[in-house]
Amino acid sequence: MVRAGASQRKIMLLALLPFVIWVSAFELVPIGRMLMMSFQDSDGQGFTLGHYVKGLSGPIYVQALTNSLRIALLSSVIAIFVALFCAYAITRYTTRMRDTLLMLTNMIGNFAGVPLAFAFMILMGNNGVFTIIAREFGFDSFGAFDLYSELGLTLIYVYFQVPLAVMLLYPAYYGIREEWREAAAVLGASAYRFWRHIGIPMLLPSIVGTFGMLFANALGAYATAYALTGSIYNLLSVRISALVSGDIFPNFELGSALAVILAAIMLSAILLNEWMSRLSRRRGL
Amino acid sequence: MRKAYQQQPVLNRVHIEIGEGELVTLLGPSGCGKSTLLRAIAGLTSIDEGSIEIGGRDVTALPPKARQVGMVFQSYALFPNMTVFENIAFGLKMDGMKRADYTPLVEEMIGIIALEGMEDRYPAQLSGGQQQRVALGRALVKRPKVLLLDEPLSALDAQIRRSLRGEIRAIQRKLRMTTVFVTHDQEEALTISDRIIVMNRGGIEQEGAPEDIYAAPATEFVSRFIGSYNVWERTRLSDAGLAGWPPGELFAVRPEAIVIRPASEEPAGAESSCIVVSGRVGSISILGSIKRFEVDAGALGTVTVDALHDAHSRRLQEAADVKLYIPREACSPLRKSS
Amino acid sequence: MERGKLWPGSVVALLLVYLFLPIAATLLFSFAKQWQSELLPDAYTLAWYKQIFTDVRFLEAIGRSVFIGVVSVALSLLVLVPAIFVLAVYFPKWERAMQAAALLPFAFPPVVSAIGLMKLYSSGPLPITGTPWILIGVYLTIVQPYIYQSVRGSLRTIRAGELVEAAEMLGAGRWTAFRRVILPNILPGTMVAALLSFSIIFGEFVMAKMLVGGEYETVQMYLYNEMKSTGQTASAVVIAYFALILVLSGLTLKLGRWKPGRGRRQTQRRNRHELRSDRERAEGLSAAAGAEPGPY
Repeated sequence: MVRAGASQRKIMLLALLPFVIWVSAFELVPIGRMLMMSFQDSDGQGFTLGHYVKGLSGPIYVQALTNSLRIALLSSVIAIFVALFCAYAITRYTTRMRDTLLMLTNMIGNFAGVPLAFAFMILMGNNGVFTIIAREFGFDSFGAFDLYSELGLTLIYVYFQVPLAVMLLYPAYYGIREEWREAAAVLGASAYRFWRHIGIPMLLPSIVGTFGMLFANALGAYATAYALTGSIYNLLSVRISALVSGDIFPNFELGSALAVILAAIMLSAILLNEWMSRLSRRRGL
Repeated sequence: MRKAYQQQPVLNRVHIEIGEGELVTLLGPSGCGKSTLLRAIAGLTSIDEGSIEIGGRDVTALPPKARQVGMVFQSYALFPNMTVFENIAFGLKMDGMKRADYTPLVEEMIGIIALEGMEDRYPAQLSGGQQQRVALGRALVKRPKVLLLDEPLSALDAQIRRSLRGEIRAIQRKLRMTTVFVTHDQEEALTISDRIIVMNRGGIEQEGAPEDIYAAPATEFVSRFIGSYNVWERTRLSDAGLAGWPPGELFAVRPEAIVIRPASEEPAGAESSCIVVSGRVGSISILGSIKRFEVDAGALGTVTVDALHDAHSRRLQEAADVKLYIPREACSPLRKSS
Repeated sequence: MERGKLWPGSVVALLLVYLFLPIAATLLFSFAKQWQSELLPDAYTLAWYKQIFTDVRFLEAIGRSVFIGVVSVALSLLVLVPAIFVLAVYFPKWERAMQAAALLPFAFPPVVSAIGLMKLYSSGPLPITGTPWILIGVYLTIVQPYIYQSVRGSLRTIRAGELVEAAEMLGAGRWTAFRRVILPNILPGTMVAALLSFSIIFGEFVMAKMLVGGEYETVQMYLYNEMKSTGQTASAVVIAYFALILVLSGLTLKLGRWKPGRGRRQTQRRNRHELRSDRERAEGLSAAAGAEPGPY
């Protein structure tokens, strides 16, 4: 750290000013405004908890919430499971290979949203490649697979969750020291037993933290579902967006309340991740 | 235990035999292959040619866990998510022992390594010395056929290192455990070993008991590595115009074997058994009970002489004119390093 | 311990196949004359590509996306880099604030934060809702985590505090020290962050749709509209977009390995010795390049 005189410090602070103003203007104040709106009635006045009540009890919204939670949960669990193996496999390569692999995974991450929905439609839509293959081979039940159902959506979510999970998880593997494995091997443990008793327990905070991030990511996802099914499929993010920018009459207040609920869930997931990283660090990983 | 193998380029035509209950130290500088040799015994590294036998059984093709060896690593490698008790019990658990069976064994070992009361601590809560003792206990509790220690004390400070190495030796003696100890610290090797194997660049320079290695180094490398030997080639000696050297091309003389006296003194009867050299004191270092003189001896170059911190040596100051008396029998002939 | 490369290899291969399958299908689709109910298309053509690249609407969309991307990134760097530097070197205690700010876009996804933004800027002193300027404004907050991660990492690597002190002792003023000593050395890291940010912005759909809507059509929105009408021009757009991302990622990778003042061979040699700090580097890379609040 560099010491600076009092007047010089004040000049330094000027460098921070644009940043502070910007973040306030485009992040903090809008969030505050949204918070305010969530408590206002339909005319934009007063104070009411009505929207929260509606959001947490109205059948269509409850269904949206449960749908979102379900897809988020399922896609995150599957993605983490897959990523456990993939991240480990990537760490087995040299730095150069690893960076290239990561670049590729990152690229796929960028592919998410509208392009991804489209690509999956080509693959598994009503006239999709896989659907046709299945029909040729007589797997009619597969032909009945509806991309536009919850299962289809979950599949797409898994697709973009896996790269994210791999990116978040693989650094943790570097904390697993080779000597632990050697010591365990000399003491009589097989590879499986090493991972069961030592490896996975050490990785657990990272796994839980990554799960939190994945969960939040899936909850907040909007573009993919929207591109695929428009406003038809009932997800919380889709519902919120419809309430504020759809074709029907906008209801900013209700939308705000729902958004606050969504944000609260996501915030807890992110904080869980932060807490877990701190735990990892303290454990000496 | 017997072992013979050859491997390029890290280890080349190495053959060693270690008797039961012996503590053998592999001593050498970094990169000499001692760690590789140790890991090969453990089964963590494969060898290209040769074989490894433990207790008459050929283990060359077996994985580490089938070889019945115990290993202690330089960085302890304790499992951070387990307590002291659980770390030590791990190996027994892997053998399929039930908790009721292994608990008394673990507790006995905790007593041997003197860590009673610490069973429920985690490695992060222990000091370096304590962690290393846990590592030792973890390896020993399975009563392995051979105990392998890979520079176990290098990460500790000097004081702890000294006390811990004594403890390790005591435990090893008590359990009559065949042990292979790897280190680059010659003081460590000389203190605790039954036998020392000095290695350099993938090969063995010399084998023998500590006194033999120290008093009679066989090659130039060993003499430079152990102690602060003065090493001279015959050509240099003839250039210096000195006569009376034993036959041979290369010599090593221990610094404490040389007697240093002020030039003015004339000790009687010394000339017959000693070679006398004149010189001037360059620098003096105090090594505790020993005073080390670097003497500029003209054509012979700088000679290192160690003397006890007594009345004689106290009289010698820097830049003083001195005479060095080198006993002929203290001149060890060396062969060139392999 | 020695391990075979067999099973990691097959896992990675499987992963790559899985990830590239949709793209491969889209690629095929974009070259197909007609692809209805067959396994593979009957005939191939470049017609779709020709069509989009001569479509004025598409080219305008590209122009808009590029414009927003470049301006957003430039402004972000201008605002953020000095701020990050000042915090890191002179006010380290307040860095927590910036780290907290970096978490905001993850806790408040585009869907959520768009609401307040829409209402706030639809009228009043700054009516920028519906214009590209609101996008540029909000994109700074989206890319801030990546720029922070990259720049902070670079500052740490070059030990910026010590460099500034050395410069000051030699007589340089604060601004000169920043301009001549710090900036050149953090340039690669900053460029990586800039490219990353650009690709995130280019792929962003939600904010663009909600805040600006149909009036200002970016590439993503163009794609969405095309998707709803004909399928095959859309696939050409997707592939074109993917090609761009490929190029940008490749550039990012190359830049990420470059060290100032060294030739290519020296950089490669240096990189091989970096295994010790692998953990930190890995964490930095992953945190910077993962967890996108953008396109999902």
